[in-house]
This record gives sequence, C-alpha cells and structure tokens, in this order.
Amino acid sequence: MFDQFLIRKDSLKNDYADGKAVGFRFAVRIADYRGCFLSLHNGYYISVDGEEYPREKQTFEINGKAPRTYEELKWCAWEHWDYDDEGIVHVKKEGGLAPGMHRVGLQQSILAQYGYMPWDEEWVKHPPVPGSGEGAGKTETICYFDLMLQEDACCCGAAAEKGGEA
Amino acid sequence: MAIKRGVSLYSYQQTQFFKQLDWKGQIREVREGLGTDGIEIINQQLIPHYPFPSEEFLYDFRSYMARYDMNAVTMDVYLDVHQFRDHVMTHGEAAEHLKNDIRLAAKMGFKNVRTLVLVPIDVIEACIPTAEKYDVRIGKEIHAPWPIKPGHFVQPKKGMAAGINFRAVDEMIELRERTGSKYVGLVPDFGIFQYRPSEVAIAYVKRHAKNPDAVDWILENAPSYGHDDLIDAVDEKFPGHGIPINQIDRMALHKPCCAAEDILDVLPYIVSIHGKFYNMTEIPGKPGCYEDKCIDYETPMKYLRENGFDGYINSEFEGQRDQQDLGEDFLVDEVEQVRRHHEMLKRLSGEV
Repeated sequence: MFDQFLIRKDSLKNDYADGKAVGFRFAVRIADYRGCFLSLHNGYYISVDGEEYPREKQTFEINGKAPRTYEELKWCAWEHWDYDDEGIVHVKKEGGLAPGMHRVGLQQSILAQYGYMPWDEEWVKHPPVPGSGEGAGKTETICYFDLMLQEDACCCGAAAEKGGEA
Repeated sequence: MAIKRGVSLYSYQQTQFFKQLDWKGQIREVREGLGTDGIEIINQQLIPHYPFPSEEFLYDFRSYMARYDMNAVTMDVYLDVHQFRDHVMTHGEAAEHLKNDIRLAAKMGFKNVRTLVLVPIDVIEACIPTAEKYDVRIGKEIHAPWPIKPGHFVQPKKGMAAGINFRAVDEMIELRERTGSKYVGLVPDFGIFQYRPSEVAIAYVKRHAKNPDAVDWILENAPSYGHDDLIDAVDEKFPGHGIPINQIDRMALHKPCCAAEDILDVLPYIVSIHGKFYNMTEIPGKPGCYEDKCIDYETPMKYLRENGFDGYINSEFEGQRDQQDLGEDFLVDEVEQVRRHHEMLKRLSGEV
C-alpha cells in the first residue's frame, strides 16, 4: 500500500551534530490504512545506493518527541502513531550522504495483526528482521525511491538541528 | 422498510492519506454526494490519539454527525496481539481492549462495533455485559475465505489462512442462542461472494512478480489444488517467483466461499454489512450503471431484499491499494468509485 508514497520526496536530508553530518533522515507514512500502537513498530529495511542500514542504526521520531530507538518504542504500548501523521526516520552514517541523487530501498515493519496467528510466540522471542516481507504489513515488497538530498538551510554552525523537524 | 445505504470511511483511506478530504469532508460527501446517512469508521484511521481521544474531538464528531443528520452505524475495531511486546496478549487483555473500544464507540454515538473474525469467542463472551450496558452490539465479521457453512473445508497451514477458524460463524450463533443476547451478531462482507480475483489485483501482482507467468499459471490451475498444495506447486514450478503467500492466496480465489443463499442462514444476526468492492466499471450497454466484475451483488441482494433486510450495507472500497505503485497519475478516484457503488446499491435494493 502507498508504495510510491511511503517516503516524502523532498524529505531526504543529512542530520548534523556540532556542525558535522552524522547521518541522514527522511519522512515516512504508515503503510496501512490505520495507525498503530508505537510498540508494534519494528523498524525498517533501509538501503541507500545498495548499502544496507540495519535497525540498530535507525531511530524514529514521532509525536513531537525526540528520536527513539526501536528498543525504546517497544515499550510505548499506549502511544499511537496516528494514520494522518508523518514520522521521521533517522539513520546513523558518519559524514552523512553525499550531495545529489540517492536510491533508497524501504520496507516498513509493523507487527500489526488481525488477531491470533500461529507465529505469535515466535514473534515475541524473535521479531522478524525488516526486509524479509514477514511483519511487513500491507506492503510486502521493498519499495525504491530516487531522492535528491535536500540542502538544509541551518546545517552549518552551532544552530545545527539535533535531528528534529526544521 | 428497505435496505439502507452507508459508507465505511475505509473507502476514503487514500483520499485521507493525501489530505484531500479529512473525516468531516468524507462525512459531507456521504450526505451531499451520495444522499444517504450511514457512517462506518475504522477507529485507528479516524480517531486522533486513539485510544485516548480528547473530549473536544468526541463532541466535535457527534456534533458534526448531527449537523448533517448522519447515523453512526458501526465502528470497526482491531486486535493487535503484540501490543505488549514481552508477551502475546492474553484473552483477558484482549477482552479489556474490546471493552474499551465498545465504550469509545458509545461515546461517539455508534450502535455497533465490528470485531475481526480472528477474535476468540471467549473474548466476545466476556464483553457482552459491557455491550449491553453501553447499548453497542458486537458484530463479528464474516470475511472471505471464512465460510458461513464450514462444509468440508480443509484447514490451511500456510500464510494468513492458517489462522482460519471455520466454525467462527457457528460459534457466534451458538453464543447468541446460549446467552440470548441480542448484542452478539455478525457483519457479513460481500467479499464472501467474490468469485475471481479483481483485474486490478491481478495487474498489481503481475507487476511485482519476478515471473508474471506464475500468476497466469495460478489463475488457471488453482481450481485443481488445495490451499497448501498450490503454494508448494508454485514454488516448484517457478523457483524464485517472488510472490508472497498472501498474494498467491488472492490470485488463487476461483469460487466464492459462500453461496448467495447462505446469507439467509445469518439474516437474523446481521448487525450491518460490508459492501466490499475493488473496481466499479460501467456495465456494457447500460450507461450510468456500474458493477464489480468479480463479486456477485445481484443474487445476495435479491435474497436480502426479498427477506426484508432493512439494515445498512456500507461501501468498503479496497481497490486503491493495487493502484498505488504506479505513481500519482494512476491513483484511483475513491469518491467516484463509491458513487458508482451507490448507483449499484440503489438499483439492486429497489430504491430507484
């Protein structure tokens, strides 16, 4: 679902700390027709120009709060990612991305279900690794996006963003 | 008394995604574009900060529904058993979840909640007192491939179909008879009368299969195989076909899981009906008249009409997701699709 629209086209930017690029980020929507409890959000398969960035390098920013790891989100059982809202995926990468076009591969993993299934206990012990299609909800393929890295007006100097919305 | 028309706002999921119509715009379309009053919602699509909406939102919703003289028919509710990630939700927790949805439905003015077919029967039973207290009926969905009559169905072991409990409908009817509670009911989905995959679904799966011939083979050969055997056969004949099991299931559909007359078996228990559809196209030789070429509406609606069904059929458009991989220019117009569906509903219910 929403294959071509899961990443906002003009949202790929570098993340900066102390004036240095420390990673990149982009804005995503939920690949479903309904929102989800944040605890169900299990990360992304992300590749950029062929290089993969596992879940451990990702954080997720939503609901006006600072970016959180998926270990932290696991316990947000009463907080909701509303259907209408955009989240920001942050990915650690020293030096950030080079200027220009990048090919981003994405599969979202949200452990949303329609009730009890035979693999439930297994998912508690070993949640699916994003990218396999398992736990990928309504968009089981990896979607590819050709995105231009956007210039950030405030990327230089001490006023650098700390990974938040501009 | 006649069949009533409504819309599940599920139908406008893409329009909402692109912020072309918010829930107020969607309700206005049902009143002004379709000339009817039935509203069904997806709780986690419409309600901000679910499951803890603000008092302001609850008041705004009821007030807006009143302004357009709308009827809050059914709220669709879910069961995500991994909400607490350190354990699979117990049935007791699942019941608390459903009770909370029932209270929320009541606060928004809804008369019914639609639960998923996979919600265990003891969970439903535990919620009957809450349903009675809040005057909200619990309708379990009858969704393909679940049959009304179990017959000789073989339990699949692969994919989503592995979760199928073929006795789900019987269990609900037994619970209703045993408790005598009118708050236990059913929500049949017209997908149970689907007799082949929609052309939009076939096109989507072919676009994403590594070998589209595998899709043609499934379409042709599915009738000769059992559920799990078919998956094995596809793997064997087309190694690396790249078609997920759920998509194989969609392509394998070759006969409805319910006969049209089966609807009469559940007629007394119907809370509301999902008018599932994928692609409304003009009927050749009948300008302005529309049909979905993969779902039989005519026969079941004849039975409903002749037997005095006077509840709601709420449009549930699901064809958008198969057309969202092609880019902006190819997005389907949900508003137009639902208008066409209502042309058909009006015609087949004898309203015009």
